Amino acid sequence: MSGMRGLSVFISDIRNCQNKEAERLRVDKELGNIRTCFKNDKGLTPYKKKKYVWKMLYIHMLGYDVDFGHMEAVSLISAPKYPEKQVGYIVTSCLLNENHDFLRLAINAVRNDIIGRNETYQCLALTLVGNIGGREFAESLAPDVQKLLISSSCRPLVRKKAALCLLRLFRKNPDVVNADGWCVLNTLLFQFIDVPFIFSSSYAYRADRMAQLLDERDLGVLTSSMSLLVSLVSNDYEGYSSCLPKCVKILERLARNQDVPQEYTYYGIPSPWLQVKTMRALQYFPTIEDPSTRRSLFEVLQRILMGTDVVKNVNKNNASHAVLFEALSLVMHLNAEKEMMSQCVALLGKFISVREPNIRYLGLENMTRMLMITDAQDIIKKHQPQIITSLKDPDISIRRRALDLLYGMCDVSNAKGIVEELLQYLSTAEFSMREELSLKAAILAEKFAPDLSWYVDVILQLIDNAGDFVSDDIWFRVVQFVTNNEDLQPYAASKVREYMDKIAIHETMVKVSAYILGEYGHLLARRPGCSARELFGILHEKLPTVSSPTIPLLLSTYAKLLMHAQPPDIELQKQIWNVFKKYESSIDVEIQQRAVEYFELSKKGAALMDVLAEMPKFPERQSSLIKKVEDVEDTADQSAIKLRAQQLPSNALVLADPQPVNGTPPPLKVPSISGIKLDHESASQTQSQPNGDLSKVQSQIPSADLLGEMVDPLAIEAPPVDMGSHQRVYREEDGIPDEVDGTAIVPIGDQANKVEPIGNITERFNALCLKDSGVLYEDPYIQIGVKAEWRGHHGRLVLFLGNKVTSPLTSVQALILPPAHLKLELSLVPDTIPPRAQVQCPLEVMNIRPSRDVAVLDFSYKFGTSMVVSAKLRLPAVLNKFLQPLQLTSEEFFPQWRSLSGPPLKLQEVVRGVRPLSLSEMENLFNSFRVTICPGLDPNPNNLVASTTFYSENTRPMLCLARIETDPADRTQLRLTVASGDSTLTFELKEFIKEQLIAIPMGSRALVPAVPVPAAPLAQPPSPAVDANDPGAMLAGLL
Amino acid sequence: MPVAASAIYFLNLRGDVLINRTYRDDVGGNMVDAFRTHIMQTKELGNCPVRQIGGCSFVYMRISNVYIVIVVSSNANVACAFKFVVEAVALFKSYFGGAFDEDAIRNNFVLIYELLDEIMDFGYPQNLSPEILKLYITQEGVRSPFSSKPKDKPVPNATLQVTGAVGWRREGLSYKKNEVFLDIVESVNLLMSSKGNVLRCDVTGKVLMKCFLSGMPDLKLGLNDKIGLEKESEMKSRPAKSGKTIELDDVTFHQCVNLTRFNSEKTVSFVPPDGEFELMKYRITEGVNLPFRVLPTINELGRTRMEVNVKVKSVFGAKMFALGVVVKIPVPKQTAKTNFQVTTGRAKYNPSIDCLVWKIRKFPGQTESTLSAEIELISTMGEKKSWTRPPIQMEFQVPMFTASGLRVRFLKVWEKSGYNTVEWVRYITKAGSYEIRC
Repeated sequence: MSGMRGLSVFISDIRNCQNKEAERLRVDKELGNIRTCFKNDKGLTPYKKKKYVWKMLYIHMLGYDVDFGHMEAVSLISAPKYPEKQVGYIVTSCLLNENHDFLRLAINAVRNDIIGRNETYQCLALTLVGNIGGREFAESLAPDVQKLLISSSCRPLVRKKAALCLLRLFRKNPDVVNADGWCVLNTLLFQFIDVPFIFSSSYAYRADRMAQLLDERDLGVLTSSMSLLVSLVSNDYEGYSSCLPKCVKILERLARNQDVPQEYTYYGIPSPWLQVKTMRALQYFPTIEDPSTRRSLFEVLQRILMGTDVVKNVNKNNASHAVLFEALSLVMHLNAEKEMMSQCVALLGKFISVREPNIRYLGLENMTRMLMITDAQDIIKKHQPQIITSLKDPDISIRRRALDLLYGMCDVSNAKGIVEELLQYLSTAEFSMREELSLKAAILAEKFAPDLSWYVDVILQLIDNAGDFVSDDIWFRVVQFVTNNEDLQPYAASKVREYMDKIAIHETMVKVSAYILGEYGHLLARRPGCSARELFGILHEKLPTVSSPTIPLLLSTYAKLLMHAQPPDIELQKQIWNVFKKYESSIDVEIQQRAVEYFELSKKGAALMDVLAEMPKFPERQSSLIKKVEDVEDTADQSAIKLRAQQLPSNALVLADPQPVNGTPPPLKVPSISGIKLDHESASQTQSQPNGDLSKVQSQIPSADLLGEMVDPLAIEAPPVDMGSHQRVYREEDGIPDEVDGTAIVPIGDQANKVEPIGNITERFNALCLKDSGVLYEDPYIQIGVKAEWRGHHGRLVLFLGNKVTSPLTSVQALILPPAHLKLELSLVPDTIPPRAQVQCPLEVMNIRPSRDVAVLDFSYKFGTSMVVSAKLRLPAVLNKFLQPLQLTSEEFFPQWRSLSGPPLKLQEVVRGVRPLSLSEMENLFNSFRVTICPGLDPNPNNLVASTTFYSENTRPMLCLARIETDPADRTQLRLTVASGDSTLTFELKEFIKEQLIAIPMGSRALVPAVPVPAAPLAQPPSPAVDANDPGAMLAGLL
Repeated sequence: MPVAASAIYFLNLRGDVLINRTYRDDVGGNMVDAFRTHIMQTKELGNCPVRQIGGCSFVYMRISNVYIVIVVSSNANVACAFKFVVEAVALFKSYFGGAFDEDAIRNNFVLIYELLDEIMDFGYPQNLSPEILKLYITQEGVRSPFSSKPKDKPVPNATLQVTGAVGWRREGLSYKKNEVFLDIVESVNLLMSSKGNVLRCDVTGKVLMKCFLSGMPDLKLGLNDKIGLEKESEMKSRPAKSGKTIELDDVTFHQCVNLTRFNSEKTVSFVPPDGEFELMKYRITEGVNLPFRVLPTINELGRTRMEVNVKVKSVFGAKMFALGVVVKIPVPKQTAKTNFQVTTGRAKYNPSIDCLVWKIRKFPGQTESTLSAEIELISTMGEKKSWTRPPIQMEFQVPMFTASGLRVRFLKVWEKSGYNTVEWVRYITKAGSYEIRC
C-alpha cells in the first residue's frame, strides 16, 4: 500500500477537512473521479484499479454509500499478483454480504485459490469464505475446505484457518455442511451401495476424521478443531463418541503433563482456551461410560480443582478461573462422586468469601447451578451464613445471585431462617430488587411454611415493610388461605387488628385488613377493642387515605360489620348509613353501586344475612406467584447446563421432595370442597409417580370426573350424573387424593416435574370456539396451533405441531376421543417432531347430529429421555361451527316463527344469573357464534331476534330462530325462546346459547380469586331455581 | 413585544462555542450540546432554520463560518429573533469594520460581550443602531487590516441622541461634496414547470441608499408605484401619466421615513442617517418581467445513458446584458462520464453537487444559447432507484434592469443652506431561487 500516492493524498485530504460538509464534498468528488475511471473504455492498469478499489473501501469505511465498483473488486480476486489479490479479497468481504449475487462470480476464483498450492492465497480465500460465505459457498466449497483441514501436507496456519472456516460454514448452514460437506467424499463413494450403510458409515467416517484431528500435536490447529467439535456436538453428539477419549487425552496432556510449547502458555497456564473448550465439548456428551477414561478425566479435574489459587495478577486469575469454573461445570455435569462434589462446594464456598467480586459472583452463580443439578443441598447449606452476607454486598449483581441462590436452596428445614433474613433485608434492599425479593419471600413462605399462622405473619410483615412492591397476587393468596382454613381465621383477624393500630399503614394492608376483618371480625367480638363499632372506627379512619379501588372493599366490610354487630347497634348503623349515603353519588360506578345496594340491603335485615353470608371457600389452585417467578426466569439460554438440566428432570425432584427431608407431612389441612383443580394441572399430572399409591382413593370418587372439570373449570360439586359413557375418561394415576390436593402446601415434587402450559387452556379454547385459527395449547416445548375451515356439516381442521426447542420431541401421540355426534378422522401424526420444526396434521370433521359435546384430543409426547408430557385438549369443533349466518326479513321470519309452535320444536326458558351485557354487546356475542341478529323485527327495543342455519348429516340444512327478551331493570336475567324444525336441535341450541350467556367470566377477572359460579352440568338441563337461591351467584360480580 | 431569545450562542463549524450569552434562566446551559448532536452532526443542518428539541426551540443561521444559534423555550417571535441576528451581525461588522467570522469573534470577545449586554435585555431586543451605540460603547473593535475607515469623532451628548427625535442622525455633519447614491436591488424567485408554466414567481426588492450630505437634509423620493402616482394625480387633479405603474406589496420603510406623511400624502420623505442604510423593502407578485427563459429536455436512454439539452433565452432589452450567468443542471449520482457541446460559455461536471455547471460570463439581451450533453452512468449494485429529477437552478445579475419595472421618478434634497447635491441611481436584478423543473 506504500506506493500509492493518490490514496495517501486522498486520505490526508479527508483528514484535513474541517467539518463534515467539506468531507462530503471531497468524497463526492472522489467518487465522481472513480466512476469516470471505471467507466473508461480503455480499461485500467492493475495499479490504478487497486488504488481506486482501496479508495472505495476507505470511503465505505467512512460511512458513505458505495454502490458501484463491486465488479472491479471481485475481478481483482483472480488477479495474479498478491497486492491485487489482497485488495480484492479484503474489499469484497467488506462491501458484499452473503446475499449479493456478485459473490457468485467470485466462487470459482476463490475455489481455485483454495485448491491451489500457494499458502498465502489459501489463507486469503479461507478468510473470505469464513467471513461472508453463504449457502452457495458452503455447498460448493465445504468439501475443499475440509480436505485442507485434514490434509497432511498443509501447514498448521492453513489448517487452523480451514477449521475456523468450516466452523463458520457449519454454523450458518448446519444441514449443508453436515450432510454434504463433512462426509461428502463418503457419500460419493458409497452411493451405489445401500442407503442405511451410507448413513451409518458416514457418521463413523466423520467421527473418525474428527478423532484423527484431535490427535494433532499443534495446539493452534487443535484449538480451532476443538471449536469446530464444540459446535458439532452441541448440535448432535451422537457419532462423536470416539472423540471422547481423545478429549480426555488432550486435557491430560495440558493439565497433567503440561506438555505444551512455551508460546502456548499464558501466565504459566497451558493454553487455557483449549482447556476450556475441551471441557465445554465434554459437557455435550452424556456421562462417560468407560471407567478408565472416566478415572483419568476425574484425575485431571481433581488436579485443576486443587491446583488453582487466587493470585495477585488479574490476567492469570482470569485465565485460571476460567479453566476452574469450566471444570466445575464439567464435574456437575458428570455427576461425580459425592466426595468430589463436596470438594467442589468447598471450593465454591471459598470463592464466595473471596474479596475479588468477579470470583464471588461466579461462585454464587455456580452454586445455584449446582443446586439445580446435583444433590449437594446439604453441603451448600453449610455456607448459608456466607451467602446471607453476600446479600449485603455493595455490588448489586452479586446480591441478585445471592438472592437466587437463597431462593433455590430453601427447603423446609431452613425456610424460616431464610425468609426472616429476606424480610429483614427487604427494608434495606434497593427498589429495583424489592419486587422480586418480596415475590420470592412470599413464595418461599407459602411453599415451606411449617404452619400457616407463620405464613400469615410473614406475608403481613411483608406487606407492612414493602407494601409498594407486594403485587395483588400476594395478598389474594393470603386471603385465600385464611378463607379456606377455619382455624386460621381468628388468628389472622387478631393479627391484622394489631397492624391496624399502626399510625401509617400501606394501602395493601388496608385491603387485607378490610377483607379479613369484614369476614372474620366478629370472631374477635369478645376481645377488648374489637367490637364491631370499634373495628368500624379504625377502618373508617383509613378511608380518606386510600385510593378509589379500595373504597368498594371498605364498603363491603362496613356492610358485613353492620350485619355481624350483635346485638344490633343503632349508633353504628347510623354511622354506616351515613357513609353509604355519602357514596351514593360517587362518581365511581363501582362505589356508587355498592353504596346504593348495601344501603338498601341493610334496611332489609334478614335478607342482608343471606346476601352477606361468609364467603364460600376458594377452589384450590396452583399459586399464581410461582408461575410469575417462572416467567421472569425464563431465558432462552441454550447452554450445556440447560440441556443437561432438561435431560435429567428427576434430580431436582428427588432433592426437593419434602417427605424424606422433614419426615412429617405438613400439619395443616384444609377441608376440601371438591376435587376441583385447574384443568391444565390435572392434565399434566399423568405421571406423578410419588402419589401413585394413593390414587385408588381418587378413582372411587365418581364425581371428580376429569373431563367434567376440564369442560367447565368452575363447576362446583358437580352432581354425580351420568355424562354419557363416551365422555368418561378415568386415569388412575391422574388423581391426587383430595386431602393432599386441598392442603395449602402443594407437594413440591409435582411442581418440579411438571410442564406448565403457557397461558390458560380454557381461555384458549373459548377463544377458538369463536374464531377459526389460533393457538390451542402451548408449553415450553411445543405449541399446537389450529386452523379450521367449515363448510356445511363438514369441517377440516389442521393441527400445527411446532417444536420450540432444539432437540426432537419423540413418541408423539395424538388420540381423538370423539363424541357420538361427530365423525373425526385424524391423519397420521408423526412419531417425532424434529428440532424447531412444525408438523401439520389435518383432521376431517363431519357433524352427524346436533349436540354440544366436545371432542377431546389426548395428546402426549416425550421430551428428552424420561419426561413424558401429556395433555387433554378440547377441540374447537363445537356446535356453533356448524351454523351459517342467515339474515331474515320480517316477511320470512314471522311465518316460520308461527309455524314452529310449542315444545319440543319451540322451547322457552327464563335464564337467570346471566353475565350482564348491554344489548350491543349481546348482539356482538351472538354474531360471533354465527347466529345473526335481525334488527328491527321485534317492536320492543329490549328484545333481540336472531336466525341461523344449522348443518348436520341427519338434519337437512335447518333454519333456527331465536328470541331473547331482556329486562332493562335486571340485566342478569332474560327469557330465551328457540325454535327450529328439529327437537334435539332446538334443545341443544337453547342450551348452547344459555351456556354462552352465563359462562366465562372474562380475562380481566382472572386474577381475582374466583367465586364459584354455578353452571349447568353437561347434557342436563339445570334447574334455574338453584341459581336464584345461591348467594354466591349474586355476589359473583362483587369481589 | 415578544421574547426573542433566552440565550444566544456563537458556534464555529465544528460546533465549539465561541461566545454565549444567556438572557433568561429558562434554558439549561447544556442546550447547545443538544444543538450540536441533534442538528449540526446530522443531515438536518441547513434544512430547517427552526428546530425544536426537548422543549426548546433552536433558531439558527450560518454567517460565513459561524453559526449563530438562538435558544428560546417560550413561544417566541421567530421573525424577531432572525431580525435580531441579522441586525446584530450588521452591528458587529460596523464595529469590526469588515468581515464577521470566527477570527473576528475571537479577537473581539470583550467588545462583543459589551454589545450583547446592550442590544438585548431579558430576551427583548434593544437599540441595535450602530450610530447610536457607538456613542456610548466607544471601545474600538480590533479591525482587520484590510479595512481602514476613518473614525468619526464622537459627540459628547449621547443622552440627547438616544432620546432625541432624530435618533439616527447627528447634527453638524458637513461634506465638501454632497452626494446621494440610490440602488434598487431586486431578486427574482421563480419556480417553473417543465412545460413552461409559472408555478411561483415573485420579486423581493430593496432600496439601498448611501448619503454623504451636510446638515439636516430633508429628502423626498418618488417612484412609479401605483399608490404614489394615484395620489399625485389626485392632488394635482390631472389624469395619471400613461406610463406603467407598479403595485408594491408589503412595503417596509427604514425608521427615518416619516410615516404620517406617507399615510397622508403618500410620499416617501425622510431625514436620512449618515452613510449606508436600507431605505425600504418591498415585494411584487404580479407583472414580473422574467429575464431568462429556460427550455430543458432530458432523456434517459436505458440504464446507463442520458441526453441533456438546455436552451437559455434572454428576454430583456437587447442593449442590456447579464453577468455571471450560471446554469446548474442536475444529473444522477451515478454519473461517470460527460460530453458537452455549448454555444457560449463553459460547462463541466461537478460531482460534489451532482450537477452540470454551465457558466457564461456575459449574456447579451435577446439572444439564446444552448448546451447539449451526453452522460454515461455507471451501473450500480442495488436495484435502481428512480432519479428524482431535481430542478435546474440559475444564477445571474442583470444591471440596469428591474424585474418589477420599478423606476425612480425623482429624488429631491432640501436643506436649509440650499447646497447642490449630486444624485446617483442604479438598478440591478439578481436571481433569488430561480428554478426550472425538468
